[in-house]
Amino acid sequence: MIDHSLCTEKTDVDLVGMSLEDSEHFLCLSKRYEDKLLRYIIRISKFGREDAEDVLQEVFIKTYFNLNDFDKELQFSSWIYRIAHNEAVSAIRKKVVRPTISLEVEDLVKFGDSFDMTKEIDQTLDRRIIDEAISKLDEKYRDVLVLRFLDEKDYVEIADILKKPVSTVGNLILRGKKLFKEEYDKLTIKSMS
Amino acid sequence: MENKNISQIVLERIKMEGLKPISKSIFSIKRVIFWTLVTISLIVGAFTFSLVLFSLFNNDWDLYTKFGLNFILKTLPYFWIISLIIFIVLGEYYYRKTLHGYRYTLIVVVGAYMALSIIFGSLFYVLRIGDLVENSLVDISPQYRNIILNRHEVWTHPEDGLLSGKIIRTGNGVIEIIDSNGIIWTIDTIGTINRGRVEIEIGERIKIMGDMVNNNNFKAEEIRCWMRMR
Repeated sequence: MIDHSLCTEKTDVDLVGMSLEDSEHFLCLSKRYEDKLLRYIIRISKFGREDAEDVLQEVFIKTYFNLNDFDKELQFSSWIYRIAHNEAVSAIRKKVVRPTISLEVEDLVKFGDSFDMTKEIDQTLDRRIIDEAISKLDEKYRDVLVLRFLDEKDYVEIADILKKPVSTVGNLILRGKKLFKEEYDKLTIKSMS
Repeated sequence: MENKNISQIVLERIKMEGLKPISKSIFSIKRVIFWTLVTISLIVGAFTFSLVLFSLFNNDWDLYTKFGLNFILKTLPYFWIISLIIFIVLGEYYYRKTLHGYRYTLIVVVGAYMALSIIFGSLFYVLRIGDLVENSLVDISPQYRNIILNRHEVWTHPEDGLLSGKIIRTGNGVIEIIDSNGIIWTIDTIGTINRGRVEIEIGERIKIMGDMVNNNNFKAEEIRCWMRMR
């Protein structure tokens, strides 16, 4: 048995090397990322918790299978997020009927903060509008906005996760923000009338 | 959000199913394959560009005034231009499959591919690799000669005064050539202008402008070498 308390001192790259030698160490890596990745999968797929957990299991299995393919030029977090993104997208495509759960309140507040709408999202109605505005965005914009404002990734990390040039990521964020604000304003006016 | 079990479940699955990480060599082979395909696409693309250059430099641009735009359009190396585009697209596709291939925009990758094709293609052209290949293709492949190479087609219209072929016999004021359809022609060369450094020797490929006298007989007004000397 491995003393998992030692894991906290190790870097991701150390743990990758150790997991290759002994699969027990993989537990340290998966534990480190499970909360973040589960939230991320729910955010982009809008799956319920159970479905998202199934996806997460597959993400970890794929990660373990491909540990030797990990490119040390990338951050491990970008690499595992990439696997999670691909797995979630593939799961979304497989699902015929998608459950439409809302983003968590905490996420909506965070999202609102990013767009200087703190005051507005104090109200339940506004949170609902934010949620609806996000849902109406095209997948490519939603992906970058979630990674940027909810998972707080920088442009290079997003580029590595989504396998897109940094300049493309910048453009998608810019355009996504604009489209989100337009959608938000439109929905706000509609709710007031 | 508490989900204590997932990592443990995954580890148990790994142990129970005896799962192992895929070997490093598999990934290395995959990377080598993609880089090889990138390189092959680049080399073939460059090579194709050298054939485009070869065709353009050997085109009879001066005949535009005599035969019109249609003549020039017919003789452009469409096959090689399309091939060049295909290899650039393939190169871009395979480059995207490499480890960091996603980091550059389409314009940058295609631009770099075009620039490298032009640089290496020009080098191949200077080294006369284009000449060598085109002549070999003309000799060994009737399909290439008849379908792909427009220049041959354009220069095989004796009824319009255009004829080309390989010299098979020379005599006093007369030569015999075999055209790309395998027909042997007797050419009257008395009073003919020899343009450029054309050599009337057996085995030389030439282009002739003049008039068709009858089947297999042609009166030459001007003879040009098939390719320009460099």
